[in-house]
Amino acid sequence: MNYNPITALLIFFGISLLLFFVFRPKKGIYSLLKNMYHQEDKMIIEDILKFLYHNQTSNKHITTNHLTSTLEFSNDIIVESLKTMLANELISLEKDSYKLTTAGSEYALQIIRAHRLWEKYLSEKTGFHKEEWHERAEKKEHELSQSEIDKLSNLLGHPKFDPHGDPIPTKKGKMVSSKGIPLSSLKEGDIGKIIHIEDKPDIIYKQILAENIYLYSTVRVIENNPKRIVFHSEGEQFILAPIVAGNITISLLEKDEIQEENIARLSSLKFEETAMIVGLSKECRGESRRRLLDLGFVKGAIVAIDLLNPLGDPKAYLIKGTSIALRKDQASKILINRN
Amino acid sequence: MNTKNIDDIIALSEELRWEIGDDFHDNLSESIYADASRIVEDAVTKDNKKSKFRLDARIDKIVTSRIWGFPIMLFILGAVLWLTIIGANYPSSMLASLLLDNIHPILKDFGTNLGFPWWLNGFLFDGVYLAVAWVIAVMLPPMAIFFPLFTLFEDFGYLPRVAFNMDNLFKRSGAHGKQALTMSMGFGCNAAGVVATRIIDSPRERLIAIITNNFSLCNGRWPTQILLATIFIGAVVPESYSSLASLSAVIGIAILGIFFMFFFSWALSKTVLKGEVSTFNLELPPYRPPVFWKTIYTSLIDRTLIVLWRAIVFAAPAGAVIWLISNVFIGDQSVASWLIDSFDDFGFLLGLNGVILLAYIVAIPANEIVIPTILMLTVMVTGISGGVGDGVMFELDSVTATADILRAGGWTLLTAINVMLFSLLHNPCSTTIYTIYKETNSLKWTVVATLLPVFAGFIITFLVAQLWRIFI
Repeated sequence: MNYNPITALLIFFGISLLLFFVFRPKKGIYSLLKNMYHQEDKMIIEDILKFLYHNQTSNKHITTNHLTSTLEFSNDIIVESLKTMLANELISLEKDSYKLTTAGSEYALQIIRAHRLWEKYLSEKTGFHKEEWHERAEKKEHELSQSEIDKLSNLLGHPKFDPHGDPIPTKKGKMVSSKGIPLSSLKEGDIGKIIHIEDKPDIIYKQILAENIYLYSTVRVIENNPKRIVFHSEGEQFILAPIVAGNITISLLEKDEIQEENIARLSSLKFEETAMIVGLSKECRGESRRRLLDLGFVKGAIVAIDLLNPLGDPKAYLIKGTSIALRKDQASKILINRN
Repeated sequence: MNTKNIDDIIALSEELRWEIGDDFHDNLSESIYADASRIVEDAVTKDNKKSKFRLDARIDKIVTSRIWGFPIMLFILGAVLWLTIIGANYPSSMLASLLLDNIHPILKDFGTNLGFPWWLNGFLFDGVYLAVAWVIAVMLPPMAIFFPLFTLFEDFGYLPRVAFNMDNLFKRSGAHGKQALTMSMGFGCNAAGVVATRIIDSPRERLIAIITNNFSLCNGRWPTQILLATIFIGAVVPESYSSLASLSAVIGIAILGIFFMFFFSWALSKTVLKGEVSTFNLELPPYRPPVFWKTIYTSLIDRTLIVLWRAIVFAAPAGAVIWLISNVFIGDQSVASWLIDSFDDFGFLLGLNGVILLAYIVAIPANEIVIPTILMLTVMVTGISGGVGDGVMFELDSVTATADILRAGGWTLLTAINVMLFSLLHNPCSTTIYTIYKETNSLKWTVVATLLPVFAGFIITFLVAQLWRIFI
């Protein structure tokens, strides 16, 4: 064969392009094939059960149309699955809307249990980013067997809540209903604690993540009108659109439950200031949390900045006579009280 | 108490656990930590005035300052590398003349006198002995200079400040600031660099540091770079600039390595490694005067000798292989020339040649023997005069003589540039591969760390070769 550098380059780019189309994430031929293989009946049935379960509380009437338009499966498969589910008495049909039977809602709870436990696992034992937890759990929930779920729960110390603040159903299918109200419905001056951050839809969740709003932090609403909601939390000010704020659930605090107001994040500490540590944010999880506790970032410890960095980040903090460097995102999860 | 009662109690307790919420475990452990620290405060008396020694704070102010922080770091790294490369020349050439020029002929005579057949003599002394001697002569002196110097700075407490200064750069590619240290250690020896990643206690960042350590140009590769830059790069500019040009070419390659290190750190942390646990913490210990002799001793034993020993263990069979492929014949062709023929086309595509590829395969145990092997194989294939015989590695004292052999082997400026690139971007030596396996305990990451740089090398040299041929 005659060699020509231009042909060689063209062949190389051709092969690269081919590999890209085969292996690119999500839309690549490889992952499409993998997904096709996984689109089994079980997965569809479980997704329908979950959908019905989540809508059960709002008393909506779910018709076949609802299901075919929301779930990302072909209509034929969904209709076919609904038939099987009716036959197996997982669901019942009242007029044109579907209802879960007792068996169906027990099944649905087990799927939700698997999903939330897996999210908890991802948050505690792996390094995946928050953004990915939900999607990964959506896949994993169909793959875990009952005994694997129990093992997982055991490994995690039988957690009661997932990392978004949702309760995890027990093995026997019990679950508390959360008592919170959406942040958007709070009045000016109301004080509450964030107990849940909804991870769906993706676009809104990413906005909340980008704001660095943390679960279980105390919020105080400064302004609430149809345009925007302004609130203070951990010494920072946040401004959200009402639609975004609607995805944050708050549990209102009684006046006597309210803790000191001048809590701030360690990242806001200035050079030559000292402060007392109040605690670690709940967003600081797993291995990182234990590390920080080991290093002495515990309630009551006095902290000051020891060294600034030529590039701005990380900063070294003086704690218990030792100089420890922390990155900004870590420091923002340590809560302090400037006296 | 009957079982129903117990079930009721368990059910009640489960419900109550929801009431107290998720944080009670945390609150409990947090308060234990807080209690412990309160007890310490009561029981231990401290001399408060001496909590932070003044001199410490002053040094810290300077070495982490905006103006001086980076120049000081670069100066120290440059000085250590310069001392290593220049300082190692003398002991290296002494060892080479002792082991290669004096002992080697004695051993061969000794074999002949004992009545060894030629093949046994060649196999043992031209193959195994020569490879081992070569590795010792080239490897021992730089390591014996580099590691003690490095350990002294480590002991003094300066290195954590480097990690502190550099962390922001590394954070952007998903890595840990301490990787700056393991990377610098890699300039001495990649195997030692891989061992040094133990200072990174976050699993993801540690794997990143291990896999990308090979992009630090190690001691075994500096001489190759310098030789080729002197011969080929220095020749394209006017003579008064030639040493400057070749020096900048070598530094350019080392900087390119750092660039690849950042790039692959980023790529790895975004893809295959994103699920590994990632934490960050960096303690800045107080400075202390290094315990000089103890440091020298431990760094010689812990780092230099262990690495050297592993290199010897791997070099001996490599020497045997090099001798065998040159002296075992299939039909009328030696295995080596048969292999070279079959690699030639692929080599040409990469702007290299079969000799170079074969040399890089048989020299996997030690980068130090790449050039001697290339010279031996080139002489063997081209049939020009020079060298001491098939399968006997050699190096020439004169750079011009080396240049003549390489040019006779068909080398051009493109070949030289691509060999320099390939020397930066190829699999780690077997000592490093073995160390990676021991450190990660995982076949998967060992394979990734081994193949990633080779494929990067194939792609880069391929692209350079095609573009060169199109435009120049």
